[in-house]
Amino acid sequence: MNIKDRSITTSNNARAARLPPVVVETRGLRKTYFGKIDVPVLFGIDLQIRAEEFVAVVGQSGSGKSTLLNILGALDSPTAGTVLINGVDISELDSDGLARLRSAEVGFIFQQHYLLDEFTCLENVLMPITIRHGDVTDEDRSRMTRLLERVGLGDQINKTPDEMSGGQNQRCAVVRALANSPRIILADEPTGNLDSRSGEEVFNLMREMNRESGVAFVMITHDDRLARAADRILLIEDGLVHEISREEHRRRTADSLLT
Amino acid sequence: MAAISNAFVKYFVPRHFRFEALVALRHLSTGGGQTILTVSAVATGVIIVVFITSLIFGLQDMLTEILTDAIPHLTITVEEPEPRTLQQVSGGIEGPASSRIEQQAPKLKFIDNWPQVVETVRSLPNVRAVSAAVSGQVFASKGANTIGVSLIGADPDKQDVISPVTPNLLGGRYLGLASDEIVIDAQLAQDMNVSTGERVRISSGTGASDSFTIAGIYSRGQGPGGAAYVTLRTGQSLLGYGTSVNVVNVKLIDIYNADTVADSIMALLPYEAKSWTREFPEFLTSLQAQSASAYLIAVFSLVASGFAIAAVLIVSVLQKSKQIGILKSMGARGRQVMIIFLLEGFGVAIVGSTLGAILGSLIVYLIGLIERPATTAGQDPERLFPVRFLPLYIGLSMMAAILSTVIASVLPARRAANMNPVDVMR
Repeated sequence: MNIKDRSITTSNNARAARLPPVVVETRGLRKTYFGKIDVPVLFGIDLQIRAEEFVAVVGQSGSGKSTLLNILGALDSPTAGTVLINGVDISELDSDGLARLRSAEVGFIFQQHYLLDEFTCLENVLMPITIRHGDVTDEDRSRMTRLLERVGLGDQINKTPDEMSGGQNQRCAVVRALANSPRIILADEPTGNLDSRSGEEVFNLMREMNRESGVAFVMITHDDRLARAADRILLIEDGLVHEISREEHRRRTADSLLT
Repeated sequence: MAAISNAFVKYFVPRHFRFEALVALRHLSTGGGQTILTVSAVATGVIIVVFITSLIFGLQDMLTEILTDAIPHLTITVEEPEPRTLQQVSGGIEGPASSRIEQQAPKLKFIDNWPQVVETVRSLPNVRAVSAAVSGQVFASKGANTIGVSLIGADPDKQDVISPVTPNLLGGRYLGLASDEIVIDAQLAQDMNVSTGERVRISSGTGASDSFTIAGIYSRGQGPGGAAYVTLRTGQSLLGYGTSVNVVNVKLIDIYNADTVADSIMALLPYEAKSWTREFPEFLTSLQAQSASAYLIAVFSLVASGFAIAAVLIVSVLQKSKQIGILKSMGARGRQVMIIFLLEGFGVAIVGSTLGAILGSLIVYLIGLIERPATTAGQDPERLFPVRFLPLYIGLSMMAAILSTVIASVLPARRAANMNPVDVMR
């Protein structure tokens, strides 16, 4: 290796060192649903999600957004290809191993809040810690209480989901996703069931958490404004992922409105 | 309620199972009608088992008591040799001989060394009382009215334990019976038209005859055929036994162990000991059939409640499928989800079986209080349902209910554990 090559390598390494670490990576990810008729959904996706990133995933209904999200969160398995979560190949893990990986590295937020009806807001946000460690400490309790207070749920901690509004429940679900300090949070249309004001509140909250804690967010959304507020926009089309710019997204949205 | 379940989990559940216990308890405490339904199914099963076993085994006890209370549990007599043909007798005559078996005539069979026999039998385990007695057929007469009657001569103190007379007295006394006194059955008194204090004449087949004052009249409520009782000495004299007796009666502590004691006696003494169970094998068979019925009803009740619980829990799993999905997405393992539903089943089983045992016992107690008039005049009213409180069977039915409920919850629990979160949350 000559001096020039060495200097290029050093420069690349320095750039790589400045980039946040990759938390989720896919290589040649394929997914087919087998049944009476086999339905291929994803056709070889190569993707990297880094810490501190806020990624929006857009695409038409049925394009495979949720399938991709479930695979990125080790809830579903790919038909072919590799998925690495924090460097761990999920195909090498059994169901218990996948559950432990989800518990430690992944947080989920769904379109419906999916809080447990029998538990209070505070108990719900403590649930991932209880699952992982069997118990919660006073420190966990005060940390999560502080977090709930920060998102405006301080006076709701002892209320059950049916006693709170949709927006409050979804904010509670966001806090719950952060409970085990995961490396990535996967949000499947988290604002889809909320009015625009509550949706914006929830989105701002996620963005705030993303900036503060550095947890990566991958959010599926049909809301163009929210998609354009993300760091990156991934478009799923014909089973493939394309990274598009905000301008292209705006143009595509405008086109779809015209047609 | 939530605070109580949280405190219970914190202080009584190992850290390893706190998540599962917390969710299971919360499901149960907030389950409302569904929880009440499953708990009721288990409780009903236990109530049925407690009631049926109490009733059937109580009935068995009553029948056994009726049969064995008035009779000795063991009788020791001189063995009656079986008649044999001449060919069967070793050293018998050679050549042609009749193969006809002649039944021998009844003859007096004496147990001469009865004090020694009594002493030996008394030293055996499980023996409550031993009484030497003479028994035989005599004629009782009053004026021209002569009636055949069984006569038993025995020490009243001991005989009262073997075949109680005093508790069944309608009038007069048995204990402290004098040598010229007799206690007779109410039916005999009625047939002879005599009452306490009057005199009757007793004549035996040996020709002995004497006049006795009726000291008492008893009734066991078993119809005609009741024996007449005199002292041992008087009986020996009337029936011609001298100082011997023809039977030694034994009362046991555990009546179902009579065969073992009988075998021990026959190993020790040259007499035949017959247990009540060998005397009345049909009775034992009927008791066994009743026990089998009780066990079958118990099993069917528990199986039925098990199916009911399984059905309710399966519905519960289906209702909570989204919750199972979210728990799994948060990292709950299949085993943890399975334990949640098994613990739910276990919780239902504990509460249901305890409730069933308490209610079942209460029903048994209340039903045991219902009385009906005595069948024999002068006796105390009898219980309409001869139920028996059986702590062992209550405990067993609780354990069986817990086991069947936990088994019933395995299927729904496995179903929950195997649920794919992606499918249920789609």
